[in-house]
Amino acid sequence: MRGGSIYIERSSGLHRLHPLTKVALTALCFASAAALPGLPWLLALFVGLLLPLAIWGRLTGAFLKACLLVVGPFVLSLTIIQGFFSGGETVLFNLGRFVFTQEGLLAGLTFAARLLVALGGTLLLMQSTPQPHLMQALTERGFPPRIAYVVLTAIQIFPSFQDRAQVIMDAQQARGLELQSGLLNRARLLLPMVGPLILGSVMDVSERAMALEARAFSSPARKTSLNTLADSLLQRALRWLLALAAAALLLWRLWSALQ
Amino acid sequence: MNLRVEGVSFRYPSGVLALDGIDLAIPSGQLLAILGENGAGKTTLVKLFNGLLRPSQGKVYIGDWDSAEHTTAALARRVGFLFQNPDDQLFERTLAREVGYGPRNLGASEAEVKRRVARALKLVGLHDMADAHPYDLPQPQRKLLALAATIAMDTPILVLDEPTIGQDEVGRGAISRILTDLHRMGRTLIMISHDMDFCAEHAQRMLVMLNGKIHVEGTTEDVMGQTKKLDEAEVAPPQLVRLAQALKMPGTPLTVDDFVDEYKQWRKKKKSK
Repeated sequence: MRGGSIYIERSSGLHRLHPLTKVALTALCFASAAALPGLPWLLALFVGLLLPLAIWGRLTGAFLKACLLVVGPFVLSLTIIQGFFSGGETVLFNLGRFVFTQEGLLAGLTFAARLLVALGGTLLLMQSTPQPHLMQALTERGFPPRIAYVVLTAIQIFPSFQDRAQVIMDAQQARGLELQSGLLNRARLLLPMVGPLILGSVMDVSERAMALEARAFSSPARKTSLNTLADSLLQRALRWLLALAAAALLLWRLWSALQ
Repeated sequence: MNLRVEGVSFRYPSGVLALDGIDLAIPSGQLLAILGENGAGKTTLVKLFNGLLRPSQGKVYIGDWDSAEHTTAALARRVGFLFQNPDDQLFERTLAREVGYGPRNLGASEAEVKRRVARALKLVGLHDMADAHPYDLPQPQRKLLALAATIAMDTPILVLDEPTIGQDEVGRGAISRILTDLHRMGRTLIMISHDMDFCAEHAQRMLVMLNGKIHVEGTTEDVMGQTKKLDEAEVAPPQLVRLAQALKMPGTPLTVDDFVDEYKQWRKKKKSK
């Protein structure tokens, strides 16, 4: 993993799925995170669906690590905040005049589990799908290529930004710029570092735009893709099924709320 | 100021061994060209000279300083470094401020900064544009500006990474003149370049690298004459040398004047036979 991409190359069934199938799965995860009523359901979905998918995709370690890194801090902060401040009758312990309740703890954990399910779905999509393939799948379904290009470039620019920043830092150090810690010193570094980075990037973008136009980027003709995304009737059916399940879950949740 | 490299190896975190047991001594005031194909280890080697990289093994001495004991910013007092792309360093509002940035970092007095700025800009021929914005200059002139910024550091050693890249004949001529002036001032000059004609014309000594090792080194004439060694390192000698070799002329003419002289002598000898 480097820069803006978290894709992990593996040879697996999950990787070979059509990107839109994985998008539909992610949509289902989001709908489930919003609609499922309680902690057991959410954990069951994570353990019963997302984890097996990660194992199938040979991504278990990276998947769990990313989940832990992102959701871990939320679990801590949400359980503390909800435990102390959302009220409830079952007191677990006191901290001065603050009371930590079981109901609050449960509310915090449920909220964190909702995040876990939504993030898990997104992670499986991003870790098993190269971004160009995702954009290709979307543009083949009518997503504007210009927007797809902007999205892709924004993601892919991070590695080149990192490389360039390193060269700039080298160049300024070679001119006697001392890298020291402390807020003031860091502020002093800002202009010599950011100036060439921004100016260089703007020039790069301008040159890249001209190079793309010189190769008919804006041509209205239907573009031929070098890469063919494998799809099947089964996957198409699965996508519809996942989309319907997501819609049904959201409608059910809405209906329950109105009751 | 002299520079010594003793038993230096360098391995990148990726595991690539970029330098393998380099020993090198560059005497004060020498103009050395480092040649080699891409990935031979040239840039890695020179980055050790100002501490941008640290050897995995061995020592680099800048004069009496062990580079391991000094930061890059401290080594910047002794080793100036011109990077390939000037746009990686320019950020100030005017040429004068840009050139003065390095000396100010080194703590030079304002009067001293002014003196160095004026001298460096004059040397590269940009003194009339001291108040212009660096990005109002075309790219080749921005390279000259970056060179002025390096010269203003007033270091006894200067490393120039591809000084002629992106330059037209005028710019190339300007850099040629600047190097000659700096050499005359007694600076130690180390340049990396793929511009063989330029190197042959200016360097006193050459060092050809291959796979992280010194493949061949010696005086420019010696090195340019070692066709087989140069072939192995994927380095093509300048056209004049190749022409002389194709004609089976003795010697290794490095400039047009040398070639004309040697050609005349050679023809005369041939005729007299």
